[in-house]
Amino acid sequence: MSTGIPGWVPVEHRWFGLDRRMLRPALFVLVVALLLIYGWPALNAIVPWNNPTRAGDVLDLGAGATAVPPVGWQLEDGTLVSDRTGVSPTQESVKLAKGGATIQMTGASFNGTAAQFLDQVITSQDPQADISGSPATFTTTSGLVGVVRSASGTGGDELLAAFKMSLSTPATAPALLVNVSAVPGEFQQVSSEVETFLRSITPEAAA
Amino acid sequence: MTITTSTAKNAQLEAIDESGWGARFRFFQPHNPAFWVYVIGVGAGAIGMIKYFGPALGGTYRLAVTSGIVFFGIYLIPWLLFLRRQNRYTAQPGGLLATGFIWGAVAATFWIALPANTALLEIWTKLLGPAGAETWGAGLAAPIDEEWSKGLGLILLIALAPRLVRSAYDGFIIGAFIGLGFQVSEDILYAYNNATASFGVGQLESSLFILALRGFAGITSHALFSAIFCAGVMWILGRAPGERRIGRGLLACLAAMFLHFAWDDASGLFGWSTFLTLFAPYLLLMPLAIVVLLVVRRLASSKERAWMRELLAPEVESGVVDQPLLDAVSGLHKDRRHFRKLVHDRRRARHLVESAGDLAQEIAASGGQETARVAHARAEVLRLRGA
Repeated sequence: MSTGIPGWVPVEHRWFGLDRRMLRPALFVLVVALLLIYGWPALNAIVPWNNPTRAGDVLDLGAGATAVPPVGWQLEDGTLVSDRTGVSPTQESVKLAKGGATIQMTGASFNGTAAQFLDQVITSQDPQADISGSPATFTTTSGLVGVVRSASGTGGDELLAAFKMSLSTPATAPALLVNVSAVPGEFQQVSSEVETFLRSITPEAAA
Repeated sequence: MTITTSTAKNAQLEAIDESGWGARFRFFQPHNPAFWVYVIGVGAGAIGMIKYFGPALGGTYRLAVTSGIVFFGIYLIPWLLFLRRQNRYTAQPGGLLATGFIWGAVAATFWIALPANTALLEIWTKLLGPAGAETWGAGLAAPIDEEWSKGLGLILLIALAPRLVRSAYDGFIIGAFIGLGFQVSEDILYAYNNATASFGVGQLESSLFILALRGFAGITSHALFSAIFCAGVMWILGRAPGERRIGRGLLACLAAMFLHFAWDDASGLFGWSTFLTLFAPYLLLMPLAIVVLLVVRRLASSKERAWMRELLAPEVESGVVDQPLLDAVSGLHKDRRHFRKLVHDRRRARHLVESAGDLAQEIAASGGQETARVAHARAEVLRLRGA
């Protein structure tokens, strides 16, 4: 039968006021937790990306919609048509990175025009964001009409483009947001690749 | 006093000592390093939680987060009632279970699993490519990070309440509460994430969708995985005499991780069939998870049931508790069902089992001594038996 006052630590088990008998489980938890919290990120930092886009690659944006990525960028998220895995146009996300520039594409369900969708995106993300450029129309090679806005600041440059992914029924079609961001001085280096990429976006009807 | 009675009394005292039943749980233990690790974990998790939800609560996604909290707060109630019923035999105190729940909801999610999953998913994306990671990444990251992060909570609770956390069934119950905390926290996070995916359009509908989807899937989710995993941890540690079963413990831990993997990667496992991709999680994985849970619960409860029999043995000898009632209070579901048939009155059978449980609890709390509360509990059993 156990005896003694609960919480009373015998002097021979004390270490700086702590119960030395409980050090082992406490340290075990702390070490394993820190390994999970910082060990995986440390390993992640030393494993390099090695998934460059190649000539002929086509991104699958779901429901037959596609885009042609610029060659030599790292495909960090997204599905190629050749993967044949099936993509939902309202849940698809793509991330391409090169140097200090990234292109992110996000599919969403939205009823309304491309301009309304872009307004909703800006409102939901940061209503106070310094989106200085006025909305401009952007037409892809396939005839898809989107809205583009840009912003510049000390942190770099950003471009937001919104499309409704149908030529015939754009109001009810899935929406696509393209977000290009670049560190200062980098945007000019990749602007022609970004423009070609945006022009390659093709909705289902034209596929 | 006969020799048999003395033997039964000694066995009773031994059962009280081994099970730790009746010991009080005190959370505030500044001399215990495990207490400080718990405080660090929950504190860091709370900061992570505020960072994650803070901007949403003050901005566009306020409705998604608040509705997620309200919906899953209500969803929690039947779960707590269900788990309270499972907390039988040498039942754990509410304070200990609440401590486990908070670890699961705050520390395991926002301190450990969130940053660990983010990094590990990116590692898998680098190794398998985006399409491979989309198919397999979640199942190769979550069972490692999440089962371990929840299991660490059990280790801390053992150090905080070494007398109370003894058997595999203790691990089973505490694991279920840690897992439930994790599950509800993750559900609220999903409600928020789903609203961000539609850029804030239809937030209430989005939260209701997540409630329906994850509420149903939650039947065989974190609470179940952690109950199995933590029972396995207790078998590996073998804290009750005769309960060290390393092979069984490893198997239970791996089973929990496999079920978690299969649930997350069902689209990869059943990708060759559209029908199975859609329905196998519900038609195959859910029944499999429940079978594993029931087997683990049955195996885990054997020690506790033995303790309960030893604890009440002197009461059986003195005629306060009869054999069928002992079998019911220390038995499985089928024993309680058998007892109900024997008594021919469902309500009376339930009252008798509960009163015998009360008597056992009072005996344990008094350390096997005769007290006014023990005498009262005994009188209640006799009153209900009509003796």
